[in-house]
Amino acid sequence: MDSQKVDMFLMTNAKYFQAKHLNYIRERLQAADDSKWAMIQSADLKDPTTSLLVSIFAGSIGIDRFIIGDVGLGVGKLLTCGGLGIWYLVDIFLISDATKAKNMEKLQMFL
Amino acid sequence: MTRNRLYLFLVLGLLAGYSYILWESYVRIFNHPFTPCIFKNITGIACPSCGVTRSVLILLHGGLKSAILMNPLGLVVATIMSITPFWLLYDVLLKKNTLYNSYLKTEKVLKIPLIAILLFLLIAANWAWNIHKGL
Repeated sequence: MDSQKVDMFLMTNAKYFQAKHLNYIRERLQAADDSKWAMIQSADLKDPTTSLLVSIFAGSIGIDRFIIGDVGLGVGKLLTCGGLGIWYLVDIFLISDATKAKNMEKLQMFL
Repeated sequence: MTRNRLYLFLVLGLLAGYSYILWESYVRIFNHPFTPCIFKNITGIACPSCGVTRSVLILLHGGLKSAILMNPLGLVVATIMSITPFWLLYDVLLKKNTLYNSYLKTEKVLKIPLIAILLFLLIAANWAWNIHKGL
């Protein structure tokens, strides 16, 4: 894939990934075939800021975990009133990194 | 979520859950106003899973019907809490991933829209019931 496309992708989507993964993504994208471009563009990436807001307002019933696709943990959080309130507090700090990791997992399928 | 992280997470969660149940049954604060639920502390109305601890405690004393009347989700939690430790032990001792595989399979099933909507409606109905009961 030509570097112009890769730069465009990284510029628009850098906030969806952890900083430590950006170099790896650049390398893999440059090595990837052009036919994958459409699929990579259509990957369903979630915004870390949105999930942080959801985590603050609806985290005690696990909605934030459902939204990023961690259904199992979401059920756990729902059944325990947000882990007796402790998990709720911890997740406010963890959720944006968890969202970025999930985004990386989604992109990884195409790389 | 890798296998080992899930298992570590489950062990910690089970330990926390069992110690909370033990503590709660020791001090018997059925009518005590203390609740760890942030949603209830902020809004004053019950959350979907308020009453699960009371339901599990009633179940421990043999009252199946009153446990269901308190909160049906208590049965789900009690089932998970009684089965998972043995399953976890079986997997760790024999170095298998049966629990991890069924966790992933359950996640996939729960993502099917029809099932997700049905379960959401059930939870919402239970929530309305909780508020009506004034838990």
